[in-house]
Amino acid sequence: MPDVSPIVVVSGLPRSGTSLMMQMLAKGGIEPVTDHERQADADNPKGYYEFERVKKIKQDTAWLPDARGKVVKMISQLLFDLPATEHYKVVFMRRDMDEVITSQEKMLVRRGVNPPDPAVIKKAFESHLTKFFAWLPTQSTIDLIEINYNELVLDPIPSAEQIVEFLPMQVDLEQMLTAVDSSLYRNREIENAN
Amino acid sequence: MPKTTIDDGLYQRAAAAAEKAGYSNVDELIKTAIENEVKRIGEDLDEQQVADQLRGLGYIE
Repeated sequence: MPDVSPIVVVSGLPRSGTSLMMQMLAKGGIEPVTDHERQADADNPKGYYEFERVKKIKQDTAWLPDARGKVVKMISQLLFDLPATEHYKVVFMRRDMDEVITSQEKMLVRRGVNPPDPAVIKKAFESHLTKFFAWLPTQSTIDLIEINYNELVLDPIPSAEQIVEFLPMQVDLEQMLTAVDSSLYRNREIENAN
Repeated sequence: MPKTTIDDGLYQRAAAAAEKAGYSNVDELIKTAIENEVKRIGEDLDEQQVADQLRGLGYIE
């Protein structure tokens, strides 16, 4: 019998908690699709859980059947290119936009890239999300749940319970919670003020 | 109010299109067309900005 399990996709803007969610789901028992090419660093000390082939989803979808029943990380812009040949359960991470921008700025600087004007990129991301959430209801093969990173790190149990309810496969809630490490919650307003 | 100039041929075509499409007058069609185009250009610039940022962060090629 062919495997018709959905592919779990962890998505959102970069620096919105997608790596943390990948860790949670991996701990919970869902196999992550990753190639370990992008190594852990100061921006993601516990690793990125990335899969390079997602970047070429427009041209290369051959890996998708092998991802059924597993979890893969994909930034929101790439979701537009998911083919309707699979069923996707998307865990979409949301985080305070100013924190996202600040965290991205730091990451860009570490990568030697000059960050753009924060107001300009904030407006661009807000426009991108508006477009994405207007497009989403037209996609019959995508189910999506939004998880707020700020709420997750402060009190992970409600979000973890929502995820367990949302996903069709068995997920170990207790194990998921072991992945949440509030010490990784950086770039908070209080820290920025210092 | 600022005014702009278009050639007679384009104006006649716009007037005919406005009537067919149910606009109350050609000014309404022109205003709508400009608003749509300004919005589209803004969205394109935003998407380009997002793409540049994601490329800089190493999330797309």
